This record gives sequence, structure tokens and C-alpha cells, in this order.
Amino acid sequence: MKNLFAITLGILTAIGGFVDIGDLVTNGLVGARFGLSLVWATLVGLIGICLYAEMSGRVAAVSGRATFDLVRERLGPRAGLANLVASFLVTGLTFTAEIGGIALSLELASSVNYLLWVPLAALLLWFTLWRVKFTALENGSGLLGLALVVFGVALWQLHPDFGSLAHQVVHPHKPAGEGTLTYFYYAIALFGAAMTPYEVFFFSSGGVEEHWSRKDLFTARLNVFVGFPLGAALSICIAAVAALVLKPASISVDNLGQVALPVAVALGKLGLAVAILGFVAATFGAALETGLSCGYSVAQYFGWQWGKFVRPREAARFHLVVLLSLILATGVVLTTIDPVTVTEYSVVFSAIALPLTYFPILVISNDRDYMGDHVNGRLTNALSSVFLVIIVVAAVAAIPLMLLTKAGQ
Amino acid sequence: MKPRYALIVVWLVAGAVLLAGCVGPARTTGRYVGKATRTANDAISALQTAALAVHTSERGRMLSPYLNVVLTQAESDFNSVQQTFDSIQPPDTREADAIRDRLDKILTDGSDVLGQLRILARRGDQVKMVAQARSIPELVDKLDRFVTEVSG
Repeated sequence: MKNLFAITLGILTAIGGFVDIGDLVTNGLVGARFGLSLVWATLVGLIGICLYAEMSGRVAAVSGRATFDLVRERLGPRAGLANLVASFLVTGLTFTAEIGGIALSLELASSVNYLLWVPLAALLLWFTLWRVKFTALENGSGLLGLALVVFGVALWQLHPDFGSLAHQVVHPHKPAGEGTLTYFYYAIALFGAAMTPYEVFFFSSGGVEEHWSRKDLFTARLNVFVGFPLGAALSICIAAVAALVLKPASISVDNLGQVALPVAVALGKLGLAVAILGFVAATFGAALETGLSCGYSVAQYFGWQWGKFVRPREAARFHLVVLLSLILATGVVLTTIDPVTVTEYSVVFSAIALPLTYFPILVISNDRDYMGDHVNGRLTNALSSVFLVIIVVAAVAAIPLMLLTKAGQ
Repeated sequence: MKPRYALIVVWLVAGAVLLAGCVGPARTTGRYVGKATRTANDAISALQTAALAVHTSERGRMLSPYLNVVLTQAESDFNSVQQTFDSIQPPDTREADAIRDRLDKILTDGSDVLGQLRILARRGDQVKMVAQARSIPELVDKLDRFVTEVSG
């Protein structure tokens, strides 16, 4: 019974924790502009993140070591450092977007300007990262994030023609008036939103925090293969309600408020309140994960004591990196830079940085010295190799597409 | 990767981001028409957001802080679109000047409506807000016609 509870909790947390500011904005934006014709990109990203998270979770459970610790050992200090810098910058950019997302969500609930919420959000984040235990932090934010299920209820209440929606998914085509390059730019953005590197740093480091061993592999796999797809289904619901309500009215999504508008149309005040609660929980949870991931990556690379399973004074340098990252990210949001723009760039840069950590994890998960009998099977290797090609193509194409489309305009 | 190459990559990426956000002059009437149609479409989006928010509020389905934020952001987005369009140097042709005058007139009217909606929402004056929002479909029609005529 206790095991069943742990498994259910893990899956629910994975669902609630899957969606962050990148998923909210990108799916709303893409749904309003392209309908469901880009769902395939989310599904490709979903398969990719499942493979990536399963491999890194397995590596963490079998070796007891997390991503950057092994990246440095396997690639050497110089290549490892280049890898660390790129991953840290992308995670930092995502952290900035999440802090902006918390403030924007609180603005929706209060109508007080988001800039006034930023210091408060930062303070609450720091307190939570400093004081709250890892399990409480992970489960609390994940479970509250389940409030986003309201997008699924809204979809049902809008009484759509599900056949037509399914047709858009199965027979995707570029809507008239949209350029081919723009279509593929947003495909990469959705792919990056679904396959954010920090999710994997957090997942594998969390495995070490929770002292996973080989016997925990089943639970970890269930979290990934059940929780993540259900989380992706939430993302698709966000795109679907935007396609049903915003697209016919020629509304393009430029801010977080517009993403919740279809829920208000479908469900009224209560639904809207739940959606805003979901926004706060999803962005707050993701900010905790990205903040910790900044500390995890640096501390693991340099071999410092890290994690929340030890007292803060025993992992002082880890907590210092987390605090400095928080101060820097908060400072960037306070420059009045548009958090939605930061989010749009962060998902694309996530796609660009992906090969840097995906490739070493693929190599390590095939290395019998680390993994013993738990190396990748043939199917995993075949799929992972195909995904390596997809990830590299997306990473290489992202910047030219960003320039040619003026960031999707 | 050597540090020198890593630095070049960082500069290239930063340059790409900056270039992606630039607004350049329109050297030909064709390009100016392209920017004007994009402006009109963005303006339609902001106006329709406000219209949908007010309509949903009329049905008693909106929380008032959320309505305030949505209308404030719609106005802010609209004004930003107008300012960006006004900052574009049009080519030296009569056609470009006519396009600028025509679109600017509609944008000014739209900005006034959205400003009024924001004020009325903050005052909680639902009746006047709904009345004010009735002028939005006409503005959207004008912008739609503008897009069809200049790009056709």
C-alpha cells in the first residue's frame, strides 16, 4: 500500500511538474497561431524527454552519481567545462523566465504590477530552497501543478469536434498565411519546451538526493513513462483550447493572461481561479527545479558537496551558487525585460543546448564500467540514436531559423 | 572546444538574438506594405483580446483583477505595435504615405478605445465598458479591410 502511494505520488508529481512557463506560453502561442498542426513536435519532444530522463535516472540509480559528475569524468575537464557553461546559461535563462512567470501569474491574481511581485517571489523561492526538504518541495509543487488539469476540463466544456481536432493532429499542415520557416521555428520551440535540459538534471540529481538504487528503477520508469506523457497531454490541452477560442478570433498570444482566457470562457470564475493557481504552482515548482539545477550542475562539475539531503552548512558552495543564480535571475527580470520574450528564447536555446548533455548520457548509459548489466538495450539504443540525430538537427537549425523568421514573427 | 571558439559562438548567439529583435527601415513600398499588414494583424489581436475579455466579463465569467490585467496588457501591446509602426521610416512614395495615414488613423482610434476600456474596468463600470467594447468589431473590420486592400 505504501509502495502504491509512493508510485501514485511520483506519477502525479511528474504530471504536475512537466508543465512550466515555457510549455504554458509556447503551447498557447502555437495553438492560437497553428491550431493543433504542431502537436507532432510536442510528441517528438515527449518521446525524447522520456528516453533522456529514463537513461539519466537509470545512470543515477545504478551509479549513484548525477549528470555533471559523470559528464566531467567521461568527457574530461575542458569539454566538460564548455558543456557546463552552455547548460548553466540555458538553465539560468529558464530560471529567469520562471521567476518572471511567477510574478506574471501573481499579477493575474491581484492586478498588482508583476515587477512588485518579483522581489517577493525571489524571497519565497530562496526560503523554500534553503529550508524546505527535497521531498516536500518536489511533491508540493508537482501536486499543486495538477491544477492545470483545468485546461483539460475547459477543453471538454468547450464541446469541440474531437474528430476535427484529431484530424489536425494526424494530418498536420501549415496554416495559410504562415511561412514554412516560421512553422519549423515553432516546431523547434515546442520541442525545446517539452525537452528542457533542467528537467533531466533535476530528475537525475533528485534520484541521488532520494538515494535511488537498482530496486527503484521500476518506480523511476513509471514516473517517466506514465507521468511525462500525462504532463504532455496537459500541454496539448493548453494548445487545443487556444486553437478553439483564440485562433478563430485572430488572437495571437503575447502574454500569459491570454493563455488563461479560454478557461474563463469555458468554465467561468472558478475555472479561471484554478488556472491561475496552476500557473503560480507550475512556475514556482519549475523555478525551484531550475534554481536547484543551477547549483547541481556547478557543484557536481567541481566535485563539491551538493544537495538538500545534507544540511546547508555542509553544502555551502552549492547553496551559494543557487543563491547567486537567484539574485542574477531576479536582477534580469527587474530590468523590465519582457518575461514572455525571455521564455520564448529560453525554449529555443534549450533545444540548442540539448546535444551537449544528451550525448554524454547516451555514452555513459552504454558503458558497462558504470552500468554493469543495466546498459541500454537494443531498442533504447536504436531510439536514442535516432533522437541524437533529431536533437542535433534541431540544435543546428534553431539559430538560422531564429534569424530568418525574426524569432518567429 | 577552445575558449577562443567558445567566445565566438557566444558572440554569434548574442548577435542572432539582437538581430532577431531589430526593426529596420522599409526601403520599398512592398516591404512597407508587409510591415503595415503585420501591424494591422497584431492590432486586431489586441482588440479581439479586449473584446473577448469584456464579452466574457459581461457573462459574469471573469475575475475583476484578471480582467484589469488582460485589458491593460491589450492596451500596452496595442500601443507597442503602434509605436513600432510609427518608428518605421516609410519609402518616399505617395502610396506609402497614404498607407501610413490610413493605418495610423485606425490605430489611434483603437488606442483610444482600449484606453477607455482599461479605465472603465478599473472603475468597475461594467455597463459603460460593454458599451465601449461595441466599437471594437467596427475597428477590426476596418483593419481587416485595410489588410485585404493593401496586400491584395
